[in-house]
Amino acid sequence: MLKLFAGALAAGVALLAPLVASADDLVTNNRIGLSNAPNKLVFRMTTDGPANNMPETAEGYKKLFEDFIKKHPDWQIETQLMTGDIGQEQARMLEQAKSGSAPDCAAVDSFVLPLFKKAGVLKSFSPYFKKEEVEQLFPFIREGVTGSDGQIYAWWWSTDLRVLYRNKDIVPDAPQTWDDLKKAGLASVKKGMEGILFNGSRYEGTTFDWVANFWAQGGDLVDKDGKPVFGEGDNKAKFVKAVNFYRDLVESGAAPKRVATIGNYDDFNAAAAAGTTALFVGGNWQLGQLKSTLDASEFAKWTFSPLPGPTQGERSTGTGGWTVASFSSDAKKVAFCADIAREVYMGPANEVQGQLPTRADLYGKYKVFSSPENKAFGEALQKGRARPGAPVYPEISNQIQIMMGKVLTGAEATDKAVDEAFAASMAAYQRLK
Amino acid sequence: MKSVTQARIGDIFSYLFMAVMMLFFAWPLIWLLSLALRSRKEIYLGVARLIPHEPTLANFQAILSSSQFASYLINALKLSTLSAIGCLIVALPAAYAFSRFPMKGKGAWMMGLLSFQMISPLVIMIPLYRYMASIQMTESHIGVTMVYIALAVPTATWILKGFIDGIPASLDEAALIDGCSRFGVFWRIIVPLSTPGIASAFIITVIAGWSQFLVPFLLITKDQLMPIGVGIFQYAGTQNDSSLQVLAAACLVSVVPAIVAFLSLQRLILGAMTAGAVKG
Amino acid sequence: MTAAATPVASASASPAKESGQARPALWLLPLILVLGLFYLYPVFDVFRYAFTDITLLGKGETYTFASIVKTLTRPELAEILWVTFVFTGASVLGQQVLGLAVALVVVRGEQRRLFGTTILRTTALIAWVVPGVAGGIVWKMLFNGAPFGGLNSVLRLIGLAPVQWLSDPDTVMWSVVVANVWRGTAFSMVVMYAALKAIDPVLYEAANVDGANPWQRFWYVTLPQLRAAIMVNLILITIQTLNTFDAVISLTGGGPGRATEVLSLYTFNTVFRNYDLAAGSVLSLLMLAISMGLALIYAKFLPKESRS
Repeated sequence: MLKLFAGALAAGVALLAPLVASADDLVTNNRIGLSNAPNKLVFRMTTDGPANNMPETAEGYKKLFEDFIKKHPDWQIETQLMTGDIGQEQARMLEQAKSGSAPDCAAVDSFVLPLFKKAGVLKSFSPYFKKEEVEQLFPFIREGVTGSDGQIYAWWWSTDLRVLYRNKDIVPDAPQTWDDLKKAGLASVKKGMEGILFNGSRYEGTTFDWVANFWAQGGDLVDKDGKPVFGEGDNKAKFVKAVNFYRDLVESGAAPKRVATIGNYDDFNAAAAAGTTALFVGGNWQLGQLKSTLDASEFAKWTFSPLPGPTQGERSTGTGGWTVASFSSDAKKVAFCADIAREVYMGPANEVQGQLPTRADLYGKYKVFSSPENKAFGEALQKGRARPGAPVYPEISNQIQIMMGKVLTGAEATDKAVDEAFAASMAAYQRLK
Repeated sequence: MKSVTQARIGDIFSYLFMAVMMLFFAWPLIWLLSLALRSRKEIYLGVARLIPHEPTLANFQAILSSSQFASYLINALKLSTLSAIGCLIVALPAAYAFSRFPMKGKGAWMMGLLSFQMISPLVIMIPLYRYMASIQMTESHIGVTMVYIALAVPTATWILKGFIDGIPASLDEAALIDGCSRFGVFWRIIVPLSTPGIASAFIITVIAGWSQFLVPFLLITKDQLMPIGVGIFQYAGTQNDSSLQVLAAACLVSVVPAIVAFLSLQRLILGAMTAGAVKG
Repeated sequence: MTAAATPVASASASPAKESGQARPALWLLPLILVLGLFYLYPVFDVFRYAFTDITLLGKGETYTFASIVKTLTRPELAEILWVTFVFTGASVLGQQVLGLAVALVVVRGEQRRLFGTTILRTTALIAWVVPGVAGGIVWKMLFNGAPFGGLNSVLRLIGLAPVQWLSDPDTVMWSVVVANVWRGTAFSMVVMYAALKAIDPVLYEAANVDGANPWQRFWYVTLPQLRAAIMVNLILITIQTLNTFDAVISLTGGGPGRATEVLSLYTFNTVFRNYDLAAGSVLSLLMLAISMGLALIYAKFLPKESRS
């Protein structure tokens, strides 16, 4: 009974029969280098590599890795896939690290680094990077990769930031303050737009994009021991003020109600393309996406400016990005992992993908980063701030998302929602301590 | 005459209902197809445009020409088919025993069996990973298959038991009196008569295995061993590299083998039914 | 549960009353082996973890009742349970009713050789097989609250105002349930189809002789014959629905606020955002208790076994 069935399936798959990669290809789906190279390193990577879904980028990476492995002919790299859910991915890596089966080398999201540093699963990169190289890193980057013992535990190679995009036809001047933004939003609604769009649902981007409004006032989510402080004293006043700013945008109609469900930067591109919005809080990478989506004449109307603050002088923006780190107990592999970070990712990969470098000197080195847009992004990065390096951050973020949903839908008073978020964050902190 | 009219009216209602249901089930899939046919330029239009202005098959080409994708599919097929067969081997005798043999506290044992399924698979995965690592069953298709079977067997046993309950016990007894062994009764009478039940248990187990994410995600890291449920995320891109169009195409293609399986099984069931009717 | 193996074994020790080789333990052996070797130990660990303070980060753990007390007294738990109740109840009802209706129409269509039954079944099945991530993406587009959103553009065409499908706390639950029913109905359809196929045609012939109309045939023949299958199906899909959060996480992530945060998603967040394995274990035991309670209630409605 199963034979026919299995036959049908086999036939179905046979139709998809792959073109088998020839054995001497230097870069295949799951191997970089020659299969008989004596040393082997397992590298778990995102699509920032030869598996990128954009053919040009994939080719670019393929070439980078080919050149790299030619310089290290006695090595082969086994590549592994990383899925999108960062929470599950980090739990898996922690578990694997404990049972000794973590990859030798892996891409690690910058905001997960503190957790891995705390769990003590990363190996020091300090011996493999020169002091000058480390000093060239932006301060928030350097802080992010440095452990409590002063050693560096990862190489953070790309970063990003949030800016305010606007359609100049509808919003001619860049809003500098919260008030400016609200007025601009209301004016755009009068012209038939939806209003300002931003992430407001249960999504990491919600916290990340909004928290700049809190930081701009000098607020802190956690103290230097990683203990949540955003709900007490001075910080609480600033926090509530920043939440009320968003709440007011929705209640006044400057932002549509649906922001409470937006949890994806692509939605802004769609709204821009559909011509229903003139303002949104987005990431620097979206400029390229808008360019490829909109007609040239439409695209010409769009520009970006730094996120508005409570006053013109108080500004901030959230920065993220990816790092490369090593879990291996074999010093040779740690060194080789550092080589990958330096020779493939630190600079060349930034150029291939147009992702912002983390070293000030690289902006001059590569032509693509000398463009006026990238220079502007580079300047905005000076006000950049990374998410706090505390293991409790993911739960704080989760609580901020819950709070934001309650506030933006008007389900709860701001004060109460903030208190609840703080209490839950403190409880999580106590558990993790 | 009256019954003919009645049947016609029934047909009309049937068609109406089928049309509504078709709309419900197919509409989202049409959107998925729309995404899969888009170019990179049009993907960011999202829901703002249903019919792409410049439709392209490039995404399907990219998927179908990737040896990686084929390997994900083959692994998924292997794991889900093996586990479904294994699940039947384990569940059928158990279902027969639960249906036919007198047992103390049978209801409690049936519930006990089901309770394995009631514990959140999510939470169990962490101790499961630790356990499987300690018995060296990670990075192995056998290990994953066994876990799939363990996950699916309570449901399969329940479905099969319900089915076997529907087969009159007098058939067993007659055969036993004729000198047939217990196993003979099971193999020659029960198994053939429960074909529809076996088929539905099989389909359910195959599909459960096909859509597994957590188990292979935790137990397998080697790309060559990965099934489609995890491999699909290769096409999901990252926030600043949206590749929804490729992901949509990958999702659609990944459905094909399971549907082929279903349709061929359906023919088998219908065949068995008619054969049974003739015999009866 | 840890004792699952023993009583069955002892059942075999007591002499079987039936003739032949009626030794249930032998027939249950493969089942016991598979579950015992590959699943029992982790299940046992979940029970054990509930009595510790284990996290994903730390190495050592100490035994304590604090995790149980603290987890079960969390202020948000009542809201989570209510959301879970509504989501599960509506999803189970929707899947059962639609699954049975589709199966009935398909069976009828096959008898009457109506066009399109295979297409309908296959489409429902695709919705089930398609990777969860795809379902999430697509339903998000349909429920998009923008004026150009999938459903909202249809509403606009017929002159209605757009609806905030996912950002209105009163509407969002129903949107999520619809997406979940879309995905889950095929399971019930497959089970109901097989059960319908197993009904003895003689019963219908007898009903026809008695002059029963279609409604009477359904009410007095089909439904009673399906009773056991429906109850089993209800038990199975209730357990599944309690454990699933695919549709929720991809559509709303549990929001806005906690408006759609079901127990399984809450557990997921506890383990994977909070790294709190002990609390996660407590929550999964709570879910076990709820599932068990519901299953026992359903089982009361199972027809008495009519074996002679």
